[in-house]
Amino acid sequence: MTRHTLGREALAHADALYNHARRLTGGEADAEELVQETYVRALGSAHTFDGAYLKAWLFKIMRNVFVDLYRRGRHAPALSELDVIDGDAAHAGTHRNQPALARLPPIVMVASEIEAALGALSDEARTIILLDLEGFTETEVAGVLECPLGTVKSRLSRARALLREKLKDYAPPAALPDDGRRGGA
Amino acid sequence: MDCEVVRERLVALAVGRLGVGERAEVARHLEGCAACRRAAEIEAELSAALDRLPRVAAPGTLRRRLEQLVAATAEPSGGTATASETRSDEAHRTGEPARAAPWVGGAPRTAETRRGLWMPPLVSAFAAAALVLVVMRTTRPDAPPREKDPSSLVGEALNDHLRVITSTHPLEIESGGIHQVKPWFTGRLEFAPRVAFSGDDDFPLLGGSVGYVRDRKAAVMLFKRRLHTVTLLVFPPEGLDWPRAEARPVGRLAVVEEAARGFNVLLWKDGGLAYALVSDVNPRDLELLAVRLNPQ
Repeated sequence: MTRHTLGREALAHADALYNHARRLTGGEADAEELVQETYVRALGSAHTFDGAYLKAWLFKIMRNVFVDLYRRGRHAPALSELDVIDGDAAHAGTHRNQPALARLPPIVMVASEIEAALGALSDEARTIILLDLEGFTETEVAGVLECPLGTVKSRLSRARALLREKLKDYAPPAALPDDGRRGGA
Repeated sequence: MDCEVVRERLVALAVGRLGVGERAEVARHLEGCAACRRAAEIEAELSAALDRLPRVAAPGTLRRRLEQLVAATAEPSGGTATASETRSDEAHRTGEPARAAPWVGGAPRTAETRRGLWMPPLVSAFAAAALVLVVMRTTRPDAPPREKDPSSLVGEALNDHLRVITSTHPLEIESGGIHQVKPWFTGRLEFAPRVAFSGDDDFPLLGGSVGYVRDRKAAVMLFKRRLHTVTLLVFPPEGLDWPRAEARPVGRLAVVEEAARGFNVLLWKDGGLAYALVSDVNPRDLELLAVRLNPQ
């Protein structure tokens, strides 16, 4: 595939990449720059594309650009809430250690509240939830994040548990469950 | 399946990724296990919450920059470059030895190599693309390129319309009426879009989203006209080159009408804001809507 052909096909994913970038960076200008840089790098490394799944390949590049340009420079890295799962607590977030079986508030949350809760997560947690939301399979997510499939499963489970905790912060008092303590400030 | 195995599959169940067989096994377990059933409900609630997140289309300005970037690779050496030529270009561009995709799967780049990213060798097509990017970076977002074509505001509005109608998720707020849509823009725009029309049987209001016209945010509202979609853009007009075509009165408005690529575009200003209506319906229909949007 020529660079130009790849570029033209990559344009079909501009909306998905921008949507993802906007939630990764939390800002429109940063998101635009991240997408642009992703395309620059994708065009520059078109010869390495194996022809398998262009969208996943582009997301993988965006992930690396984000780590390079944003998390290291412009944004202080959020403390990784998921690092623990790569160690002994590999089953955190699953059955026995499930920290948060609190229900979501029984209300219809507006999108801005969900976005705010996502934004309060670490980059790692937010990324894996967004990739899952984008429709990638766990195998594809493992390819994007360059980690084992088992790690994806446990990280996703843990990230969703953390998101549930964050979402509890947005519940109005009346909507909290009977035992309803809030999950944060 | 015991509880532990089921719990490991609840996320996949919630996002619809379990195969038929596994789904049936999990379902059998859930019938008899209240604790796992509750956990499954929680995962389903979370998935439903995430599904409510709006998807935002890439702004027109960004899309055009990407298109220019890709177009630059179509130059003679760009479309037919061999892998070795490409790697050589890349090495030249970054100042690093040629190697396969150093940023994909390799160690992150250093600040020095990132700075080197923008050194433009003039001999390669990719350099041309990078040069375009450099030029654009120096102008974005504070100093958008000066518009030379006076009718290109029409093209901008048309591109926005096309992006909206081809988007999988064009609406960030679905309409329950203008009183639901207008407040949604509060805090998302630097101005309050003045739209009095809440839709009717002729032009039902579908909803809204935030878009861009040039360098500024715009309120985007979608109306329906029979089977056609009509896009309304509301944006501040300061600094934009207004089409020079003669305006003609439509109700109390002075409206510029233009046609491009089979679409009709109406532009007018009112109360310090600019309005653009774009659709493939005929101009008379758009005039009817314009009058309803800005009544006497």
